[in-house]
Amino acid sequence: MTAELPPGLALQKVDERIMTLNVGPQHPGSGHMRIVVQIDGDYIVACDPDPGYVHRGEEKMAEYRNYITNIPHLERPVIHDSCNVLYPYVLGVEELLGIEVPERAKYVRVIASELNRCIYIMYWLAIYGIFLGHSTMFMWPAGDRELLIDLMEKMTGARVTHAHFVPGGVRNDLPPNFEDVCLRQVNYFEKRIKEYAAVFYDNPILISRTRDTGILSRQDAIRLGTTGSVLRASGVDYDLRKKEPYDVYDELDIHTNVMKEGDSYARSRIPWLDMIESCKIIKQALQKMPKSGSVRVKLKPNPKGKNETVYKRVESGRGSLGCYVVSDSKPEPYRVKLSVPSFRNLIALPYLLKGEKLGNMPSVYWSLNYWPVEADR
Amino acid sequence: MGTATGIIRALNSGIKHIATKRFTLRYPEEKLKFVGDGYQFDPSTGVGIAGLKGRHMLFHDHCTGCQLCSIACEGVAEAIAMVKVPDEQTQNKKSIMPQIDYGKCVFCGLCVDACPFYALYMTNDYELSSFSKEGLIYTPAQLQVKPYVAQDSEIIISDRGATHG
Amino acid sequence: MSVIAPNFKLSEFIKSLLDNAFWGVLLMVLVGIPAVMMVLFFIEMPVINGELLTPFLALTWLADPSRILPVVHAFMATDMFRVMAFPGFGFAALLAAGTIFVERKMLAKLQLRVGPFYCGKIEGILQLMGDGLKLISKEIIIPAKADKPLFWAAPVIFVGAAAAFVALIPVAPGWVVADVDLGLLGVFAVIGFFPIITILSAWSANSKFPFIGGIRALFQMVSFEIPLILSLLGVVILTGTLNLSEIAASQSSFPWIVFLPIGAIVFFITMLAELERIPFDLPEAESEIVAGWLTELSGMMYGLVQLGTYLKLYAFAALFVVLFLGGWNGPMIVPPFPAEILTDGIVMGPITAKIPGLPLFTQEMLNGTLWFVLKTVGVIFFILLPRGVFPRIRIDMLLNLGWTKLIGLAFVNIFIALGLLYAGVLGPGGLQ
Repeated sequence: MTAELPPGLALQKVDERIMTLNVGPQHPGSGHMRIVVQIDGDYIVACDPDPGYVHRGEEKMAEYRNYITNIPHLERPVIHDSCNVLYPYVLGVEELLGIEVPERAKYVRVIASELNRCIYIMYWLAIYGIFLGHSTMFMWPAGDRELLIDLMEKMTGARVTHAHFVPGGVRNDLPPNFEDVCLRQVNYFEKRIKEYAAVFYDNPILISRTRDTGILSRQDAIRLGTTGSVLRASGVDYDLRKKEPYDVYDELDIHTNVMKEGDSYARSRIPWLDMIESCKIIKQALQKMPKSGSVRVKLKPNPKGKNETVYKRVESGRGSLGCYVVSDSKPEPYRVKLSVPSFRNLIALPYLLKGEKLGNMPSVYWSLNYWPVEADR
Repeated sequence: MGTATGIIRALNSGIKHIATKRFTLRYPEEKLKFVGDGYQFDPSTGVGIAGLKGRHMLFHDHCTGCQLCSIACEGVAEAIAMVKVPDEQTQNKKSIMPQIDYGKCVFCGLCVDACPFYALYMTNDYELSSFSKEGLIYTPAQLQVKPYVAQDSEIIISDRGATHG
Repeated sequence: MSVIAPNFKLSEFIKSLLDNAFWGVLLMVLVGIPAVMMVLFFIEMPVINGELLTPFLALTWLADPSRILPVVHAFMATDMFRVMAFPGFGFAALLAAGTIFVERKMLAKLQLRVGPFYCGKIEGILQLMGDGLKLISKEIIIPAKADKPLFWAAPVIFVGAAAAFVALIPVAPGWVVADVDLGLLGVFAVIGFFPIITILSAWSANSKFPFIGGIRALFQMVSFEIPLILSLLGVVILTGTLNLSEIAASQSSFPWIVFLPIGAIVFFITMLAELERIPFDLPEAESEIVAGWLTELSGMMYGLVQLGTYLKLYAFAALFVVLFLGGWNGPMIVPPFPAEILTDGIVMGPITAKIPGLPLFTQEMLNGTLWFVLKTVGVIFFILLPRGVFPRIRIDMLLNLGWTKLIGLAFVNIFIALGLLYAGVLGPGGLQ
């Protein structure tokens, strides 16, 4: 072969010992992405995550739609966490339009966002369970998630993709008698997720399997720019709900869960602790919420934003999720950019998998709290 | 002996759950109950009324053919088309009304928010499957019909676990 | 509303039914019955009650059920019956099918779901049949670069090896397909055959994931065979025989699990590993290597491997029962056969039916089978349960467990057995 290679490309040397595995995109352990794994025996030599299979151009689409009709689109990246994905955009647009949100609407948003965080983490946990071959841990979260989905359905009228948050509040008020139903189901949910400990989190086989695998040190976690549960599992006390409170989070008592180990087990335990924390936040919000009042400011049709840029971020189920909105005094935004936590966490994957065993690949990969569709947007 | 106790605890927890009630909704026989009659919107206050965002319902005597729902849907799903209707309404001079393609609709309910005349609501009917694409397109006459829904199953929480009943 | 079959006409449906029936009857008369008759005339028929069993006689005896009992007796004495029906394949397959059903329903109950529900009206009891029909009707796809003869043969050999394992298990006194003196050695030989089949199938598929799965299976089975064999030596030392029937008979007063609990635990863990069940299902680890060495198998080839796996599961559970839980031994709970049926016959109103040839089975055999089945089902329950509560372990942890901990424990078990023997607690002059 003497053909000239295009500039920038180089042939890779083939090592007889190394086997290249394409984990994904059609693989039960990958999600909508591909991980090119090179293994030497059972040890991973190199790993190359290859996202981009579900790129839908949500950001570009947002430039052709006005501020309200963007809402059903921008919640699509993570349909299980749709309220949180929409939250920074809505906060940003409110600032652009100069709207003050009613107090009750802020509490309704907090409840919806915390419920959605639990729904997302339950789904994530279900997949984490099946990745470790624990089928019960797939079925229990998938079933108990129904308790919260039922609440979201009562609240917003849709099981996923709620389209509930709008600039100026929320779409509709809570249904009658919602507080009691919510309190009952959230209490039961809290009791249920605590039962997961005996079967999953305190299971000695799981602990010996995930302890000391894929260790991400505190410095590396900060240097690689990871966020959310991955960062907190490495010992960094960083929660946007506490560090940069938005809406009414500063009035609520929030405890941040931090673990020092930074291994796969800590990364998988933090979201579970977050869920228990979310249940407490929901109960607090239900207590402190004004019992009546408006939940939505009436907007003019086709509102025009100020000639400004805003960047707002919230703590989603995976970490800090930012939205950058540029307005040029038109009904449509000039530019919308989502800064998603999934992509930032995925960057750590090649560093973590190098030198690990192939059997650790699913547990390390999914412990990064990664959602393929969100990373591709 | 932490390992042995952990294993015994896990097995014990597993066996204990064999006696717990099953948490499964047997869908075609049982259907979940929803609050209210579906998502509605009050244009005077600008706030919606909680309910399921299901199939739409169109009130022919309120619809003026203003196309606001269609415009609202333009950026979302382009599911709403305005079509000619044979019936003559005094408030609807152009005799056009929305026709909704449920193959495209994402059930966001922004069309309901857009309607200023209390003409378009959403209902609790979500069983819209059809064998053809044409069957998913609902004409104004079909949208006028109030759907029959038999949904009565709720989540019941007891000491032996939650069930749908 | 639309209907499922829009062009359905009842008359057409009845016509097609009649059409099929007509051709069926015609072919049976012209081809089927003559063929059966020809076959029957060429094979040697048994002599029953001093009469040669001609086809004519056989068919007339079909009209009188009582007269068929001697035929059944004669058939039950044959090797064919033992291999195909009772202690052999049919019995094992029945228990394996029951195992699959119980596994599905129990796991579903543990996971707070329903499991198979609609197939067969009663709690999805016919789901397995439906799955079997589905697997049979599926297309078998073979990778283009596969070594085809080996790839085809592997599932069949797998079932064959599992069936050979089943053949060595004694179910009741005297009811065993192959009562060999070195039965336990035969078991070890058959178990040693499985990794070869696995690696052959994995290698011949010529694909990466089956290859990794096959290598993992090889590692796992070979490293767990040694503790498996060592853990059974304690029983052999105490009984002084390798014949499985004699081992079972030797436990008439105490099952060996009383004296050798460590051996039983080691054998149980190695059994889980040999069966590739969670937490040791590394060769089929879904999230890492798709389906391991089963990845390229499709249709009934996969079905055969599953059948072999569950036969193997039954055989291992039965081996545990025979070696540690006393086999068929247990209190006599089956009532004796009512004698008045033999002397007076069955009185049904005005008719009195005298049935010579009863009883078909002896009381000991029924009691032994009952106890054997009860114990086996108990062991199978404990094999199934870890699937609900444990995650999969990693290959290095597995090898570490097999080579260091289990082999050590197996040696401890052997020393316990030797100690019991030389201290005179068991063996000649001791308890048994």
